[in-house]
Amino acid sequence: MTEKERKNRYIFSFVLLALLLGLFGVLNLCMGSVRLSAQDVANALFYCADTPAGDILFRIRMPRLLSAMILGGALSVSGFLLQTFFHNPIAGPFVLGISSGAKLMVAIFMILSLRLGNALNSWTMIAAAFLGAMLAMAFVLAVASYSGRISVLIICGVLTGYFCSALTELFITFADDSDIVNLHGWSQGSFSGINGSNVRVFSIVILFSVSAVFLIAKPMEAFQLGEAYAVSSGVNVKRLRICLILLSGLLSATVAAFAGPVSFVGIAVPQLMRNLFKTEKPIIMIPASFMAGGVFCLFSDLISRVVFAPTELSISVVTSIFGTPVVIWMMLKKQKEVKAWD
Amino acid sequence: MDDVKKAKRGEGLGLKAIEVRKLCSGYGQRRILSDISFSIKRGERVALIGPNGTGKSTLLKTIAGMIPDHTGEISVSGKDVRSLTDNERAKLISLMLSKVPSGEWMTVREIVENGRYPYTGKFGILSDKDRDAVEYSLKTADVKDIAEKFFKTLSDGQKQRVMFARAVCQEPELMLLDEPTSFLDIKYKTEFMGLIEGLAKTKGTAMLMSLHELYLAEYADRILCIKDGRLFTEGSPEDILKKDIIMKLYDLKEGEQTDRFLKGVLRGRGAAGEI
Repeated sequence: MTEKERKNRYIFSFVLLALLLGLFGVLNLCMGSVRLSAQDVANALFYCADTPAGDILFRIRMPRLLSAMILGGALSVSGFLLQTFFHNPIAGPFVLGISSGAKLMVAIFMILSLRLGNALNSWTMIAAAFLGAMLAMAFVLAVASYSGRISVLIICGVLTGYFCSALTELFITFADDSDIVNLHGWSQGSFSGINGSNVRVFSIVILFSVSAVFLIAKPMEAFQLGEAYAVSSGVNVKRLRICLILLSGLLSATVAAFAGPVSFVGIAVPQLMRNLFKTEKPIIMIPASFMAGGVFCLFSDLISRVVFAPTELSISVVTSIFGTPVVIWMMLKKQKEVKAWD
Repeated sequence: MDDVKKAKRGEGLGLKAIEVRKLCSGYGQRRILSDISFSIKRGERVALIGPNGTGKSTLLKTIAGMIPDHTGEISVSGKDVRSLTDNERAKLISLMLSKVPSGEWMTVREIVENGRYPYTGKFGILSDKDRDAVEYSLKTADVKDIAEKFFKTLSDGQKQRVMFARAVCQEPELMLLDEPTSFLDIKYKTEFMGLIEGLAKTKGTAMLMSLHELYLAEYADRILCIKDGRLFTEGSPEDILKKDIIMKLYDLKEGEQTDRFLKGVLRGRGAAGEI
């Protein structure tokens, strides 16, 4: 592809993503157990919010829409960072057990603080999730560096995920507080029950993290050619690795703190974007993954709310159904990887 | 080698591209290289030969900055590599490996542009000067007509030329090549040696390349032999590619098989007569 063709492709793809984002945004505001017409929505948004429709819109659907969009975006950027780190497109926060580690730690902190009689605030939840994510990551990394094989890394990550999820369920079962009932939905993954102040807090954290990701786009691109080439072109690889781990951990931990574990978004979305944009360039892939993660989660959340309404599916049910085929297709397509001088 | 060539290469010389003194290196407690000293002049091509696992790659890695805890001195263009930042080092030394990266959706041009890393700003935006360097490298490595193709669609020979273009694009004083021709067939091997010679002559880039294939060491100006982590001997191809040295270097046993092999490798040069 010539430079011009590439540029056109980027523009076309970004416009497509923006349109999809708009489309699913409107659908998410309108559809649900109470159906609102586009006119109701417009009325409430632009004229008068003091109607039942406005109430539903601003107290329930808006925060939920923003959660799906922003957290979904964060999750796929986190996946892209991990894929860069491991030089493997199958890596992601969910399969590596990082999301589940974060979930476990949040559950422990929540139960403890409820015992002590006060609820956790958003910042403490993120901190707890980050701690859990880092512990899970440290364990998986240790195993990976001991074995050096990517298949062992993935299996170990999946097992870590199961282990942490099992522990979480165990804690929730034995926690007797009535508030714990809320934990059940969250521990399966859900965008419900996130309020406006939560949204403000995680928006700040994610804005900060994604900006930081843009700052390491250049060394990431050099690192995609492998460690030896990266070092030889002047990348401080040790520092880059630490940045990748901290940022991907912070992003996926923030998602896990509010929405629980959301599966396969981190793998499927960046892969689809590579094929749509036909590039690996981080400076394109970062915004593309973020937008597409938002689209995918809006779409999945819509399905989870609408298809069996009023019963709600957990978000992972939907993301798994649409995400796993993508991952399987990837694995079949993936050629034998060539490792250079590691 | 005739005197004209020698004189040409001697232009603007005197300056050593790299000087290595008493270098010891290894991984953690495991010491691989001991007491290595040598130097390479500008525009000189030096081949590194020796048995597997004796430290050829370790030597290249150490010079490339991948093994920070070594003792001894390495200076490139008169500057001690320890005193250089990562970027400064990258402007002096570039690297090429035998295995190529997988780069699923990378175009040839993007990979070559990667060589401008130490020259661009925070976001990697290319200046006109950077673009000129990219064009020059694409031309030098003869990959200009495939510049917009995806890397994964190329043949092995083309891929290696692209990685060479990337190394050229870094505008180094010294290029390190780790068995650059191992996966190429004879046609590409000889073509590749031609590319290296061209760059050494036009740009005065010094080359240090480890080689598996002894017959390719013929293309070098000088040969360093590494054995058991030490510098075994060094000299011109005429001096080194001889039966007794090769036999000692690789621990070959006297016998018919060895003779046959050496005849194959050394055929066509004066040394063959000595077998």
